[in-house]
Amino acid sequence: MRRLGRKWGDKFEFGFFTLPVLLCVAVAFYIPFVMTIRYSLTKWNGISKHPTFVGLDNFKQIFLHDANFAASAWFTLKYAVLYIILVNVLAILLALVLDMKLKSTAWLRAAFFTPYILSLVIVGFIWKFIFMQGFESLGASTGWSVFGLSWLGEPGLAFVSVLGVSIWQSVGFYMVIYIAGLQSVPEDLKEAAVMDGAGPFRRFFSITLPLLAPSITISVFMALTNSIKVFDVILSLTGGGPGGTTYSVAYDIYRDTFQNNLYGYGTAKALILFVAVLLITIVQLTIFKRREVEA
Amino acid sequence: MKPNKAGRLVLEVFMVLLSVVFVYPLLLTIFNSFKSFQEVMTDVIALPSKLSFTNYSYVWDFIDYPRLFLNNAIITVLGLAGIVLVSSIAAYKLGRTKTRASSFIYMLLIMPMLIPFQSIMLTVLQLAKDLHLSESTWGLGILYWGFGAPLAVFIYHGFVKGIPLEIDESAKIDGASGFRLFFTVIFPLLKSVTTTIIIIDVMWIWNDFLLPLLMVNGSPSTKTLTLAAYTFVGQYTSDWQYAMTAMVMAVLPSIIVFILLQKYIVKGVVAGAVKG
Repeated sequence: MRRLGRKWGDKFEFGFFTLPVLLCVAVAFYIPFVMTIRYSLTKWNGISKHPTFVGLDNFKQIFLHDANFAASAWFTLKYAVLYIILVNVLAILLALVLDMKLKSTAWLRAAFFTPYILSLVIVGFIWKFIFMQGFESLGASTGWSVFGLSWLGEPGLAFVSVLGVSIWQSVGFYMVIYIAGLQSVPEDLKEAAVMDGAGPFRRFFSITLPLLAPSITISVFMALTNSIKVFDVILSLTGGGPGGTTYSVAYDIYRDTFQNNLYGYGTAKALILFVAVLLITIVQLTIFKRREVEA
Repeated sequence: MKPNKAGRLVLEVFMVLLSVVFVYPLLLTIFNSFKSFQEVMTDVIALPSKLSFTNYSYVWDFIDYPRLFLNNAIITVLGLAGIVLVSSIAAYKLGRTKTRASSFIYMLLIMPMLIPFQSIMLTVLQLAKDLHLSESTWGLGILYWGFGAPLAVFIYHGFVKGIPLEIDESAKIDGASGFRLFFTVIFPLLKSVTTTIIIIDVMWIWNDFLLPLLMVNGSPSTKTLTLAAYTFVGQYTSDWQYAMTAMVMAVLPSIIVFILLQKYIVKGVVAGAVKG
């Protein structure tokens, strides 16, 4: 009898400790998620009382006839691939230099990390100002033609601007992850390689880079999840322009849902984004798992 | 083969120059926030002719800065306190209970890390309206509990496993159990991870944009700093001197905190990424 009482007591305590967080997560994710699935099968402008059930019509429309969605998916894909590669390469280069223990290391680390603590919307505005006003003055005083280009007005250049500003904001974050990774590379291993006559490049590719593998895994993973959801910086930097060429998938969803009031249609797109993120994550985790087992 | 002294010096000079170019946009923003409209228009890169705070006092009053700051503080502190509390107690209990239900609940709690916010933003807003959490700073703070919990549970759970079970047992012999055992014995041991979680979540909640935009943008009395700067810049697209000032005022708190706590912030961010 006493044992039974204790068992119930334990159960009660278990519930008491875990129910609050379950409730919070349900409100933030699970209930909205179920509602999203339901809305995605309807046509609704948010004003009429009840959404009209339309089955899979939204999805058919999105995949077959929605040029905006195709364009924003292509933009996001291009952006994500270039962002992941460039931000990681630049971060590794910066980390290598900062790991050399220069006199100014503390300043350099702070300088490169600072943009990361700023809100992305503000970062977009700051660069909008630089591109629109600052470049004019810089062009006048240096005479360099790069400053005369229309960095936000020409589609190709606007893409480069969005990419560049995103990298500028976050490269410091990846840099500190790589610095931490480099510091865990044993010093005697590098010295042994020097003794064996390995040059700096040889040393980097056959010792440092393999030992950085865990940091690369983390960084690529984070760069991927962040780049696929890119939104804030585009909103304030280009507003999707010029001519709607810099809409990302997340921004396209925002436009359809909150600017065009296509609630059902927008949530159908949102669901597609979720499935895409899920698939990419599963593929990525499988690849990295396999590699770690081999290593 | 170590790079020789001259080589190091060249590299050092190059890196310092590069870092100055890197932060130059921020410096330009600060410089221009002190200029008059005329000065901004004639030459953006020139230094301000005098140190004048007229832009600041104008924007301060116009956007009601103290109010915004208070809103940000309420949202961040309330959000953070809830995330730490509900996540740590749950992660502890789940880490100590080895049943199928326990691992199922754990999975249920960390899986939402895969759901992009944009996938559910509309329905989150609908639900928040139904629960009367929208258009209120307190409501937004409470909503962050659920959004922050998955990562926090994940990090806490990994750490709890490293705390020996003997500590719980000896505390139980001393008569402590339930919440008292957790808060007097276990929670203090979680200090380092709690710091990590606080750092990551403060940076996220303080600077967050999309959720506040949907939740509290309706009234000036509930706006956050970032939202106010966003609206303000949208209205003053040609008055760059005011826009610059609003932006500096929005990011200044983050920059000051970063300068003061740089070491901890960098460490916390790295720890969070490596564990998360």
